[in-house]
Amino acid sequence: MQLTKDIELLEGLPVAYIRSLDALAVADLHLGYEGVMAKKGMLLPKVNFKKIMETIKEAAEKTKAKSIIVDGDIKNEFSEVDQEEFNELFDFVKSVREMKLEPVLIKGNHDNFVERYREPFNLKIYAQEARIGDYLFFHGEELPCEIKGVKMLIMGHEHPAIGIINAAGRKEKVSCFLSGTYKRIPLLVLPAMNFYAAGVDINFQSRASLLSPVFGTANVDHMRAIAVGFGSTMDFGEIGKLRNQ
Amino acid sequence: MIENAKQPFSDEESLGVLNSYVRSWFEKNFSELTPPQKYAFKLISEGKNLLITAPTGSGKTMSGFVAIINKLFDYSLRGRLENKVYCIYISPLRALNNDIYRNLQRPLEEIFETVRKEKGVNIIKEGIRKVTIGVRTGDTPQSERAKMLKTPPNILVTTPESLAILLNSSKFVENLKSVEYVIIDEIHELANNKRGVHLALSLERLGHITDGRFTRIGLGATLYPLDEAAKYLVGYDGAQPRDCLIVDASWSKKLDVVAKSPVRDLIYEDDQKIEDELYKEIDRIIKSSKATLIFTNTRSGTERVVFNLKKRFDYGEDIAAHHGSLSRESRLEVEELLKKGNLKCAVSSTSLELGMDIGAIETVLQLGSPKSVTRAVQRIGRAGHSFKATAKGEILVLNRDDLVECSVLLGAALKRHLDSFAVPQNALDVLAQHLVGMSLTQKWDVDEAYSLVKSAYPYHQLQKQDFTALLNYLAGNYVGLESRRVYGKLWYEEAENTFGKRGKFTKVIYMLNLGTIPDEVAVNVIVEGTKKWVGNIEEEFLTRLKQGDVFALGGKLYQFNYSKGMKAYVIPSSSSAPTIPPWYSEQLPLSYELANEIGEFRLGLSNLIKDHINKSKVKKLKGTKMPKEIDSYIGELPVDQKSKEAMYSYFMEQALFAKEIPSRELLLVEFTKGFDDDKYHLIFHSLLGRRVNDALSRAFGTVLAETLDTDIGVLINDNGFLFSFEEKPKITEKVLGEAISELSHGSIYPLMKKAVRNTELMRRRFRHVAARSFMILRNYKGWKIGVGRQQVNSQLILKAVESIDQNFPILKEAYREILNDVMDLPRAELTLSKLRKGEIKYKLIETPFPSPFAHNMITFGHADVILMKERHKYLQQLHKRVMKKIGG
Repeated sequence: MQLTKDIELLEGLPVAYIRSLDALAVADLHLGYEGVMAKKGMLLPKVNFKKIMETIKEAAEKTKAKSIIVDGDIKNEFSEVDQEEFNELFDFVKSVREMKLEPVLIKGNHDNFVERYREPFNLKIYAQEARIGDYLFFHGEELPCEIKGVKMLIMGHEHPAIGIINAAGRKEKVSCFLSGTYKRIPLLVLPAMNFYAAGVDINFQSRASLLSPVFGTANVDHMRAIAVGFGSTMDFGEIGKLRNQ
Repeated sequence: MIENAKQPFSDEESLGVLNSYVRSWFEKNFSELTPPQKYAFKLISEGKNLLITAPTGSGKTMSGFVAIINKLFDYSLRGRLENKVYCIYISPLRALNNDIYRNLQRPLEEIFETVRKEKGVNIIKEGIRKVTIGVRTGDTPQSERAKMLKTPPNILVTTPESLAILLNSSKFVENLKSVEYVIIDEIHELANNKRGVHLALSLERLGHITDGRFTRIGLGATLYPLDEAAKYLVGYDGAQPRDCLIVDASWSKKLDVVAKSPVRDLIYEDDQKIEDELYKEIDRIIKSSKATLIFTNTRSGTERVVFNLKKRFDYGEDIAAHHGSLSRESRLEVEELLKKGNLKCAVSSTSLELGMDIGAIETVLQLGSPKSVTRAVQRIGRAGHSFKATAKGEILVLNRDDLVECSVLLGAALKRHLDSFAVPQNALDVLAQHLVGMSLTQKWDVDEAYSLVKSAYPYHQLQKQDFTALLNYLAGNYVGLESRRVYGKLWYEEAENTFGKRGKFTKVIYMLNLGTIPDEVAVNVIVEGTKKWVGNIEEEFLTRLKQGDVFALGGKLYQFNYSKGMKAYVIPSSSSAPTIPPWYSEQLPLSYELANEIGEFRLGLSNLIKDHINKSKVKKLKGTKMPKEIDSYIGELPVDQKSKEAMYSYFMEQALFAKEIPSRELLLVEFTKGFDDDKYHLIFHSLLGRRVNDALSRAFGTVLAETLDTDIGVLINDNGFLFSFEEKPKITEKVLGEAISELSHGSIYPLMKKAVRNTELMRRRFRHVAARSFMILRNYKGWKIGVGRQQVNSQLILKAVESIDQNFPILKEAYREILNDVMDLPRAELTLSKLRKGEIKYKLIETPFPSPFAHNMITFGHADVILMKERHKYLQQLHKRVMKKIGG
């Protein structure tokens, strides 16, 4: 689905393709998630990495993009990088480069120690926010700063999803992009790539309970939800209208 | 071989097996032997495995213990009694354990006292010691456990979970090697669920430790089939069940029962009047009886009844509620008061159904249907304290379906037709736990372990491939090598055919997480914008709510707004009726057997009524009198005259309006239009019990949704199920016929799997199974993981597991539990095949509005006092329209 002339939301994938940058934009991979959960007693089968790589591969083949911008939270643990995550991070960089994608990382709140890997991996890492081309990429746990002259703000962090009630009265949760404005500048919220952290159904939550401070200004009810799932990408209209189904 | 014990032994034969001390104690305390004791003393003293069923007050517990106590005193008198466990008593209830302890402590003291008096100082010379008894449950303090390790009691009183822990406590196991007897009490509460499955494996492991056989004694109240229970108790030795004798004394107490309607006309009588009459009748029964035990079917109902009785009549502290939501202290207090005879009446949901001695109850009063014959007999059996007494029971019915159901139920009870129970078979999650437990104690040969497991009845049919798949799962073979250190719970060498212990934390994990009772969570309901808490709903109910839904809680209506975490935010609703049926998990499900009995009764009555209509050319209900043959047919059931009349007109209305009465031989399918909405309903009058209906409704729902290419709303009820459509669907006899033929063509298992895959039920049960199989640990390294956390993403874990293998053991078990334990897939399939073969006929009728037999179903079939008013008005309106058509 074409979001703007320059941005395509790849059909059925939680990935945006930005033509002018020839880049894929993704967010919230939370690599090493299962390893961290296992330490807390949840022995989730290891599928996150595999599923993410399948998705990226499909996107890379479709678009032939040259780089992949990870808009925060490439990994999961708050404090330190553990072996499990290190392996997956290493494999991630290796695999995307094999797909001829150069990784660009925006630091998220889960990425405190990722700097450590700048040198050994020769990685491009942005600390807070990054102006790339006409776009400002930021993770979303803090407000964006340099927004002047930006064509669009692109963030992650929120893990947006919507709840849809089917005719049988059952609620289905589907992750989604959110598209709207922040201080009159277009804003795009990317869905989470993580297999396990699909997020909350925003249309059933109060505005105050959202994670990112961005939504203190940007009214989520006026944002459009573009759902990704069941092999397709579909515009469901404004969140506010999805509140009463 | 499993067989019935032939005949009772004479008192002299029975008492003759006892030594003089035990005998004189018994004769001093009891004037005679009760029916089960006339079998048990002798047979247990001969070391026979025994299953004893007998009602409350029949000296059941003593029938199991006397011969054992005798044996232990024999040992003591010969100076052979050691600091070892000789007998393990297991019951599912901690409260019952404490009761047993108190009840045995005294006799042991008394008997020893007589020995001491007679022997004097020789006691020390001959090494005669006290026979000791001790309780070990989750409540037992650490200090006492340590003491017990050093000086174990001769009789150990425990729960299934504590026994499992002892089997893995390397030191205590030494004390168990001497076990000669195991008593399982309340076997009917264990044999039909995973707790019992867990226990069955524990017993086989105990057998492995004791290196031989111990005598197994099972005690139960009312249960059927008995040979099934016996096999559960004794297990298998190779291909044959071990020997067991069955002593069935469950009918030694006489029943005096009746079903009553509080008013003559359950439809048109003013609802206030019905309520008034209901409470007047309750009051009358309480006042005319020494002590009354009232059963409601829900906890909220219990509170309401107590409240109303106190408000309306002059009751005070002499009436009390007893249910699972009350604190343990207040429950114990009520039990004590009952036992001492200080309560005039206790009102309970299910909690007083079994267990503790509660003293002399004269009458048991049941409000609404108890939904199963066995449960009714069990509850009514609480009345009449001694085995010679008659158990007096009354059921007050709340609507016409209830009336038919309760009357047939009591008829079946008098004929001793009980519901059957079923032991869950091949539960892989419970087995996973035990395999971890077993691996911790020794290195195992796979085949040896497999045959040990197969000797437990619930695993007798276990396939080897399921067993090894489970070992692979437990060994962590589904994750990469490097992660097995975390994921693996045991090691498994396929080439060497062995498995054993892995990791130093596994034992801690095992001990902290074993057990089969899932963590449940109550969702707090809060009035939006305030902090006012109005009650709890179940998590499963929450998952069905959508914004704007109106539901009932504590007798009031609320509109659901949204939920966050484990909180649901609502606003008080002024609408007149709920839009979503009350969650029925709190309601008891109608059993298959009882449903069949009702179907049989319907068949007989329906034939008589058709004859009557044809012969007398009856066109209108008004002015017809009940013919004699119908009067006497209904009169075979224990009902009063009011009820007979009510049943007669109920069936006549259905016959005149719909021309058909659904029965055991006829599945009536009614296509009709909703009464006060624009919806269309397809109603299956399938009287097969809730579990079968649950499965059948999903099967039909899936096929019909596909054929008609539309979404369908489903409502399941004890008397059938119905599908709702927003627009008029094209339902024809042909569509129905094709659905049946499609569904009866081979197994519906794959279809059912798909039908339940995306339900909340699956999410929740999968979480339970994952927790039981140690995939989600509830307790880990000092953390307790909350249910909310466990629930998070269980849908995604499910997806992840599916991507590994469709037959992943945890996945397979979740489906098995849903389709075989929650629902009844085998009987649903049986029904479908009967429909295809024409053994059950089906017929589609179209009605302008719902027929009388559908009324209760249309109004949510919620037979409870709650919201009776709203339902009642609605019912009246429906009924008026029917009567207008058939001319009442």
